[in-house]
Amino acid sequence: MVYHTIYITMLILLSFMLLACLIRAVRGPLIADRLMAVNMMGTMVMVMIAVLALMLNEGYLVDICLIYAMISFLAVVVLSKVYIGIYEEKHRKEKDPKNNGVKEDMSDGNT
Amino acid sequence: MGILEWIKIMIGSAFLLCGVVIFFTELFGVFHFKYVLNRMHAAAMGDTLGITSCLIGLMIFSGFNYTTLKILLIIIFLWFSSPVSSHVLSRLEAATNENLSEHCEIYKDLSALEQELKDREAAEEKGANTL
Repeated sequence: MVYHTIYITMLILLSFMLLACLIRAVRGPLIADRLMAVNMMGTMVMVMIAVLALMLNEGYLVDICLIYAMISFLAVVVLSKVYIGIYEEKHRKEKDPKNNGVKEDMSDGNT
Repeated sequence: MGILEWIKIMIGSAFLLCGVVIFFTELFGVFHFKYVLNRMHAAAMGDTLGITSCLIGLMIFSGFNYTTLKILLIIIFLWFSSPVSSHVLSRLEAATNENLSEHCEIYKDLSALEQELKDREAAEEKGANTL
């Protein structure tokens, strides 16, 4: 009974914080702001899943939590690389609009 | 419930409370600072310390079994992955923001930074001597 009360309190507090993270993700002026807020939301959702695993007494939910951690990390890394690539593409087009960045040497890409 | 059970509940609740307070501090910092690279400093704290204390509290509640081992695995994975994702995010910001020098000082190479630090030290020594 005591455990149940503690778990419910944790879940309520974390869900309010999750809402605040969502506000940050919507308001963030830059792309990095939004990605950072999504990363924070992933962290809080991981804690919520771990609390649920103990509350429902289902051990396999912790495996889902581990997979969630890996996918959240992968999402941040891949989205950062994608946005750096998009920015460089746009920049190259602005610099010389003639050849539209079709044939360029890829050796100087520092990503 | 025996006295040991109550001690376990108290220690676990203390860790959980610590984690929630750190998450709250993280949120406060993220809403308080004005620029991404400052906000990232607050956000990385919650990613490592906040989730670690929350999960340590849950490990104490769970007792000695396989669930505890898996939670420990999550903590170790996060300790490796969170600094890497912070680094990648700040690199995204440094690569895409053209007005970066409005927010922080930029040194093109390390020798410029070393030179400025040397100058600052020399100026401080000079000031100390005149005093």
